[in-house]
Amino acid sequence: MRTTLRCGLILATAAIALCLAAGASLAAVADPDASDASGTGAAPSQAHVITIAPEVVLPTPSSFQDAPMLAPLVESGKLPPVADRLPKNPLVVDLKGRNREFGRYGGDLRSLVSKARDLRLITVNTYTRLVVYDEKLKLRPDLLAKVEAQDDRIFTFTLREGHRWSDGEPFTAEDFRFYFEDIANNKELSPAGAESIFFVDGKLARFEVLDDLHVRYSWDKPNPLFLPALAQPRPVFIYAPAHYLKPFHVRYAPPDKLAERAAQAKLRSWAALFNRVNDPYDNANPDMPTLNAWKIVTKAPANRFIFERNPFFHRVDAEGRQLPYIDRLFIDLATASLFAPKANAGEVDLLARGLSMYDAPVLKEGEAEHHYRTLLWPIARGSSYALYPNLTTDDPVWRALNRDQRFRAALSLAIDRHIINNAMMFGLGLEGNNTVMPESPLDEEANRTVNATYNPDLANDLLDGVGLTSRSAEGVRLLPDGRELEIVVEVAGDSRDTIDALQLITEFWRDVGVKLFIKPQEPGVLRARSYSGRTVMVAGPGLDNAIPTAEMPPYEIAPALGENYSWPLWGEYEETRGKHGEAADLPDAKRLLDLYHQWRQTSDGGEQTRIWKEMLRLNVKDVFSIGTVTRELQPIVVSNRLHNVPEKGIFAFEPTSYFGVYRMEEFFFSE
Amino acid sequence: MALLRYLLRRLVTMLLTLLAISALVFFIIKLPPGDYLTNQIAELAAEGDQSSLEKAQFLRHQFGLDLPVWEQYLAWIGLMPGPNGWSGLLQGNWGWSFEYNQPVNAVVGQALLLTLVVNLAAVIFVHIVAIPIAIYSAVRQYSIGDYLVTFIGYIGLATPSFLLALVLLYYLNRWFGISIGGLMDPAYADQAWSMEKMHSIAAHLIVPTVVIGLASTAAMIRRMRANLLDELQKQYVVTARAKGLSEGRLLLKYPFRMSLNPFIADIGNILPHLVSGSVLVSLVLNLPTVGPILLQALRVQDQYLAGFILMFVAMLTVIGMLISDLALAALDPRIRFAGRAA
Repeated sequence: MRTTLRCGLILATAAIALCLAAGASLAAVADPDASDASGTGAAPSQAHVITIAPEVVLPTPSSFQDAPMLAPLVESGKLPPVADRLPKNPLVVDLKGRNREFGRYGGDLRSLVSKARDLRLITVNTYTRLVVYDEKLKLRPDLLAKVEAQDDRIFTFTLREGHRWSDGEPFTAEDFRFYFEDIANNKELSPAGAESIFFVDGKLARFEVLDDLHVRYSWDKPNPLFLPALAQPRPVFIYAPAHYLKPFHVRYAPPDKLAERAAQAKLRSWAALFNRVNDPYDNANPDMPTLNAWKIVTKAPANRFIFERNPFFHRVDAEGRQLPYIDRLFIDLATASLFAPKANAGEVDLLARGLSMYDAPVLKEGEAEHHYRTLLWPIARGSSYALYPNLTTDDPVWRALNRDQRFRAALSLAIDRHIINNAMMFGLGLEGNNTVMPESPLDEEANRTVNATYNPDLANDLLDGVGLTSRSAEGVRLLPDGRELEIVVEVAGDSRDTIDALQLITEFWRDVGVKLFIKPQEPGVLRARSYSGRTVMVAGPGLDNAIPTAEMPPYEIAPALGENYSWPLWGEYEETRGKHGEAADLPDAKRLLDLYHQWRQTSDGGEQTRIWKEMLRLNVKDVFSIGTVTRELQPIVVSNRLHNVPEKGIFAFEPTSYFGVYRMEEFFFSE
Repeated sequence: MALLRYLLRRLVTMLLTLLAISALVFFIIKLPPGDYLTNQIAELAAEGDQSSLEKAQFLRHQFGLDLPVWEQYLAWIGLMPGPNGWSGLLQGNWGWSFEYNQPVNAVVGQALLLTLVVNLAAVIFVHIVAIPIAIYSAVRQYSIGDYLVTFIGYIGLATPSFLLALVLLYYLNRWFGISIGGLMDPAYADQAWSMEKMHSIAAHLIVPTVVIGLASTAAMIRRMRANLLDELQKQYVVTARAKGLSEGRLLLKYPFRMSLNPFIADIGNILPHLVSGSVLVSLVLNLPTVGPILLQALRVQDQYLAGFILMFVAMLTVIGMLISDLALAALDPRIRFAGRAA
């Protein structure tokens, strides 16, 4: 397998080299020939082409069924019949192969959010994207009928013929062109230029409309970030409903009229008005057409937000029923502290976010009387509570200390993770480093325990070895400049669990002569302090994506992002291409960055796996972050009438979009 | 004539007070580092939106947050033209809420109404319950009944309201099937007004009314009782009784009226309390009132929304004070005469 991939790569490289030699532009290679444009023709044989296709292709049903809710609308002629609303080639979902039942139509699903802004989570949970991850975290087409990726350089998208927006207007290549030309590359709408995924080595993508159903993005070098960015829980929306947005765009509408409309809305320019109505994610504009399974119909402010089925949704089951099964979603606003009592009183049909293991007794108590069950899914996190020594902190003494691998290792070895596990997670957690979980194909067992066992003697020896030998009267070690070794650990004030865990760690560290001071901060303030290099150490959750596959970008474990508390200045340097921040100067950090760049240059799966694994090993060897326990359980309240919710799953924002990969449109209510 | 001059002087000081308050409110809201966008951008970045930092400056300009603080302030109260011309509080424009992406009046309009409903219910509850009990326990001082209501009153004072709220919610749900929290069953939220909806609201008003009212009820019983006891020992009561006035008439006509004075002086506090008095309970009970909106606005630095609510409360306080001063003067001749003598 490995050799064939490598051969493919060599061939591809050779092909590129040949073209260059012949003086042909790369764009010429990318140019479609007639057969290619139809979407069925094979790509040039010498290139390495990956086609993203469904795992199981089921035949399109010969006839379709419609939701009873829509029947009156069809009868009165307000909606076309279901066969005319679906694309010619709808996505036929494989229920049987995934042990799901065929559902029945109807019902309203009740759930809760704590503030109106959290309505964006509906866009996450109802996970409709150009391409999506399936439960096995393989990329699959969703809105798109097909994706062809040539060397991860040339991406050809095939749309579904007859696919429509929720208002019945066609979804075509024009919607991609409108986004790319009139939004992403419009100076007023995107003053900083297009999204970063459109750039490779500072060069913008070439975008071509091949015909109504085919578009192509191409670069000179591989862009493995591109498809994963489209499948994220918060994706880059590279298409927009052109028919709805054009009247708000200065290129298509008279400027004076637009200015008038903007002034009416108390806005300074047409661009601000456009940005307000163009809302593919937040669910704040009920007028915006969508491609999701449900569409918001309630305008804020309200206490109950209603989402109704999208009559033009592109998925059907094998028996021809257009999805979703459930008619409406009722999302109520409620204070977070009332989530558990409300669930206990049977006032929700599906609820996860906002509940925690603390609520488990309350949730269990109401199960029988109010006919629901409580599922426990592990939360995917590198570590539930992790410590980040800031390698780029301002204070020179602390900076030198934090940069010493022995110091970081000693702090990690001094923590008794078993006690934290028992105290915080009923002993059900997984103890060890902040690294990927066993569910990830990239996991190696040693990565969990290197430098992460409980060994206070070794920790003491290491600290002595660093030179922290003199102690104060209370037995606290002294810094080289005579100050006490008191580590101020800053933490977001609303994360109660992390603060509890820190209190335990305070005790463990005292045993090795290290003082810990917990400083809760407002999250915004904490972030600002971290960005400016004023934090010494921060506590927070570990890796966001703890079940990655090799094709997902490894930016969390390289000094690539300023938001990482371990290296805010290095990350800023990388993000701003050297304009701000500092260049990474520790050898292993440099190596991580190199590896990350290598990952971005390759389209070879085997190579990506090798890079990921080396990066993971480097991270635990260097203890760039100190992990504790992970695999916290997330209680999920599910009505007994609600079917097709898997008993076992993984709860995570990245990469599974909470319920997203478990496909909410397939959930249904029994009688 | 003297009254008119007095009124005029009061109005001028009121305006100056409000001006000072508005400046204070605005600058305190702006005190924490960053602004609404800093918070929002941090949130976006946490969700992996990597272009968020790039958008920041653009949005900051759009919202006018890049102007100096004093310019933002003057534009907000309407003493100088802002990005949208002359449109501040003085011109009747309440500003724009960033968080809700709507004008402030659209955000707080409905909430203000419900807040008034809830708190008025609580105030009425307090008076209906407290006054008879207070009269009873003053007239029958040191009786078993007096001790009993005193005991219950102390419990009412000492119980944390949020705890009581949760307990009441749970049992009302268990015993009567009233949905947890909110001011009505969620099913009625988007429906037109009907008998069932009114009924649902009435049922949901029980818990907030009791919880908000309980502490003040207890306090009011104690104060009323003390006032009445003072009056009951005075000479005129003895005289009236000697002249053969019936007990009930005597009580209500003289000492009771006297003991009301402190409560009239209290109107100044009750008015703003109607809007802002139930923040904590509203949060716990998930009431769609102004309290939770204000808290959230302060947290995310939605400056115009928070500023407006605080200004509104300040205005109610000032107006309440004026009303209570006038009412006291009208009701109690001693105050009027004292003024004339001086």
